Amino acid sequence: MNGNKKRRIFGRLQRTPKEKWKKEEFTELEYEPTTVKELLTEMKDISELIIDLAYSAVLFDNDDMAEEVKFLDVRMDKLNYDIRIMAMMAARTKEDAEQLAGILQVAEAAESISNTAGDIVNLLSKEEKTGPILPKILKEAEEQLFRIKVSPKSKACDKKIDELKVESESGMRIIAIRRGDGWIYNPQSDTDIKSGDWLITRGSHEGFKDLSKFLHGEMEVLD
Amino acid sequence: MKEKTVEDIVLEIKDKSELMVDLSYSSLIYDNKVIAKEVYDLEDLVDNLYKTLQRKTVENVKTKKLSVNDALTVLHLAEAGEQIADAAQEIADVELRDVELHPILKMSIRESDVVFTRIKVEPNSILCGKTLGDIKLGSETGMYVRAMRHGERWLYGPDKKTRIDEGDIIFARGPEDGEKHLIDLATGKTSEI
Repeated sequence: MNGNKKRRIFGRLQRTPKEKWKKEEFTELEYEPTTVKELLTEMKDISELIIDLAYSAVLFDNDDMAEEVKFLDVRMDKLNYDIRIMAMMAARTKEDAEQLAGILQVAEAAESISNTAGDIVNLLSKEEKTGPILPKILKEAEEQLFRIKVSPKSKACDKKIDELKVESESGMRIIAIRRGDGWIYNPQSDTDIKSGDWLITRGSHEGFKDLSKFLHGEMEVLD
Repeated sequence: MKEKTVEDIVLEIKDKSELMVDLSYSSLIYDNKVIAKEVYDLEDLVDNLYKTLQRKTVENVKTKKLSVNDALTVLHLAEAGEQIADAAQEIADVELRDVELHPILKMSIRESDVVFTRIKVEPNSILCGKTLGDIKLGSETGMYVRAMRHGERWLYGPDKKTRIDEGDIIFARGPEDGEKHLIDLATGKTSEI
């Protein structure tokens, strides 16, 4: 995987400006030149991440996470707008236009996935608080969502995800990290794990048991 | 056969819709119309599940097995799954259209954080004759098998009991470093799982 420049939001600690993005929803729709490829890669990545985040928000009854989902959903609208403009500027012939139409259709689909994620987190804000039925359902899934807190005793502290080979050793994919009041989405291979981080992960129950022992400092190595 | 509960059906919709997203993106990477068609079939399946679920949920409310709030939550969640399935179908539709794919489509999806791999299992591979449950591919390599081709037959969303045979083609999703490990295992270059 190359080029850090394409990841403007992934693998980086960031703080979602509280409430600010709501106002920017429309005013921020200013076209920024980026390549269609970068835009589509980011849209595809968000479309996968956002669903997991939405289910996690509901599963852990976590409003913070729900807020992030809404933020990403708004970002997705903007990306979809940018990609349309880029595609229109790139079309010179009918053949171009036909091929680019396919790109826009995929972008549109990614956008509707993110809208759906927004709908899922709305389950949290319903006046009638939903009962324990949701966690009950989601806990039966093949690949489940878990969150684990990193203990200062763990050997994982200050190591890069790449060095630990978390995913290939435990099968657990880290979809996001909560650090202080910031978030890191789709942590990259060079992202450090720090003591006190909350990791939102996806995988099997077995993988979860191994990874949590390691992150709680009860196990020296992950393998 | 035990009758499926409302919870079983919602979960099936959720799992199938996520599988569809994976399959639809891989149909573009591999320019593979067979996978794209499968997404269409799964869409039908999800639609039918959704209809069954709606009826069952209402019945359960009537017999007081479910509270009104729980019933609404279940339907809401299922609706989300249904919408995701529709979006996956839209993506697969791009592959099925008679227009050559824009090269950027493949590149963008390939550069993403999660990779899809397609690999044939060679006769000397340690994977031959083992079930997915035996080898724990998911937790050992990080690669989750999403589909398999066995001869002419396709299998989507295999489970623990699914056996891998020589000549099978595996479609898996996972991190880049897991990809290499899986390829080495399938081609017999390594037998260490």
